[in-house]
Amino acid sequence: MSAVINPVATGMPLLTVRGLQKRYGAVVALRDVSFSVARGEVTALLGDNGAGKSTTIKAIAGVAPIDEGEILLEGKPVSIRHPSEANALGIQTVYQDLALCDNLGICANLYLGRELVSKPTPFGPHVLRDVDMEAEARKVLKTLRINLPSLDTPVASLSGGQRQAVAIARAVLWDSKLVIMDEPTAALGVAQTAEVLRLVRDLAGQGYGVILITHNMQNVFQVADNIAVLRLGATVMERRRADLTPEQVVGAITGTLAIPGAIPGTTAAGAVA
Amino acid sequence: MSTTTQIAPQSPFKRWLSGVTNSSDLGMLPVIAALILIWIVFEVLNANFLTPRNLSNLAAQIVVTGTLALAEIYIILLGMIDLSIGWNSVLAASIFSLSTVFFHLPVAAGLVLGVACATGIGFLQGMLVSRVGVPSFVVTLGGAMVAEGVTLGILTPHGGSVPLADDLTTAIGTLNLDPVWSWVASILLFGAYAGLTLNSIRKRKAGGSEGGYAAVMRLVGVGVLLFGAVFMLNAYRGVPFLLLIFLIALFASAFVTKSTRFGRHLYAVGGNAEAARRAGISVKGIQLAVFVIAGFLVGLAGYLDAARLGVASASVGNGDIMLNAVAAAVIGGTSLFGGRGSVYGALFGALVIESVSNGMNLLGAASSVRFIVEGGILLAAITIDTVLRMKRMRSGRA
Repeated sequence: MSAVINPVATGMPLLTVRGLQKRYGAVVALRDVSFSVARGEVTALLGDNGAGKSTTIKAIAGVAPIDEGEILLEGKPVSIRHPSEANALGIQTVYQDLALCDNLGICANLYLGRELVSKPTPFGPHVLRDVDMEAEARKVLKTLRINLPSLDTPVASLSGGQRQAVAIARAVLWDSKLVIMDEPTAALGVAQTAEVLRLVRDLAGQGYGVILITHNMQNVFQVADNIAVLRLGATVMERRRADLTPEQVVGAITGTLAIPGAIPGTTAAGAVA
Repeated sequence: MSTTTQIAPQSPFKRWLSGVTNSSDLGMLPVIAALILIWIVFEVLNANFLTPRNLSNLAAQIVVTGTLALAEIYIILLGMIDLSIGWNSVLAASIFSLSTVFFHLPVAAGLVLGVACATGIGFLQGMLVSRVGVPSFVVTLGGAMVAEGVTLGILTPHGGSVPLADDLTTAIGTLNLDPVWSWVASILLFGAYAGLTLNSIRKRKAGGSEGGYAAVMRLVGVGVLLFGAVFMLNAYRGVPFLLLIFLIALFASAFVTKSTRFGRHLYAVGGNAEAARRAGISVKGIQLAVFVIAGFLVGLAGYLDAARLGVASASVGNGDIMLNAVAAAVIGGTSLFGGRGSVYGALFGALVIESVSNGMNLLGAASSVRFIVEGGILLAAITIDTVLRMKRMRSGRA
């Protein structure tokens, strides 16, 4: 947990973004966003509504590519112009609406768009290998300690926490390195929130890099290793959680509190370019 | 208690039973129950209803409605509707009969022309729906009117109907697979199905999944229905060729929708198109492919209708064959909201619709009464669909 870990020993951060800029017409959504995510750590990306959190994850996920700036994955600059490019690089996003098909079973959702199929025969289309998919899915769910009913159960009949677990398992099922989660606990009760946070911690424990977006300060201090705060489209602070108090984080989000060690040049006034 | 833990009932039978009773998706059970009820009522009212001869007639009567319902189910699974299936099938039949009777084309060539026409219309409608984004309701309403106009245009110079002349089509429309071959075919079919089911259960067990109790129950149910039907049809003249063709289309569709990647994507697009798109599925491609498949089946239905009646006629297209097919699809458990249902609903939905029609005819009921009864059944089916959907939404989001 110490902030003075030898960078050579830990290696490169999994993901580093530097100076991200994004405009929507005349509106500047991102001015200068920089932070990094280490392998095996949870980085909380915080900020008030309109601070640029969503735009940032959309940029990393390839949904809305950046105009300026650098994205480094394992130290190498990458260009992410499309969601499929992000997926190919091992970046998976769990959106707030989860993007699950309620009418399909758990296993079908886990493999949606990437089904295991038999080799096409001259007269036949791709035949699903349901049994193999289930066996594989069972393994992944086991390593994540996700407990679900029978894998052909339609997602519609699952609880909110279970649905979130399916969406997260779906994100890590295919060789992903970085999992981005947008408000995973927003719609959940106390017990389900605890379960999802446990899952977030487990992901990091297994070596995934995790970006967590949330408004819940308690959640942040329960699971995050690293905290990056955005304000008006720019990073105003990135520090280890252990070095911060919730009051300091709230102060950075709202811009009402000067933080020792906050990134210089950014003030509460935060002039927009 | 952890919310992601579920305690399973002990015995596989109890688990299966609780799965059935707790589920809002009961499969074909409700429509089979309704069918049994309808048959009992008509048998009580008229003892000629449950005779081998009448049931053989019924078996041939469900073929066109069933094939059209099958086409409609593909479309409804997307959450769309196709109002053009009736007139498109009549147009296909008209092109077939004109090309064979007046242009003396071989039967196969006429069949290809007719089916290609319906498939082409499906393609054009699919393009408008998927690429341009016009609602399917409007596209197919327009398509139906165009097809009606073309049909009337080409049939009117020939008196509005063209009797078929070729022996092959007449044979397909009127003959039966003889009883011995009916048994052989059904035993082979059931053997293949049982083999696939048991193999999948074995692989499941090997992969550590729970046993396929539901699959075994389904296997038993299919066996009872299949051999019961063959026994009944053999007591008259055997399995009608028409029924055989419909069943082949049905089983092929069951395979495509349940066991292929395309079928999985079809259900995904119908369930949540945005989620499907984000998963990398070509939503437009699936929509277009579905309209093409439905067009093909509609063309086939047109040919089967002409074969059964021995004539291609503009008077058979008048609205109610399309509405019957939509009703059969919905009664068969296909949700108009998309993504839920099974192609087997085409068989059982068509059986319900045609049983009512057949029974009413036996009773000598006026068509006015028939429409009211069929309409009532359709309304009941749609009400059940909507209530189940609301129940699902409550339990899914709560």
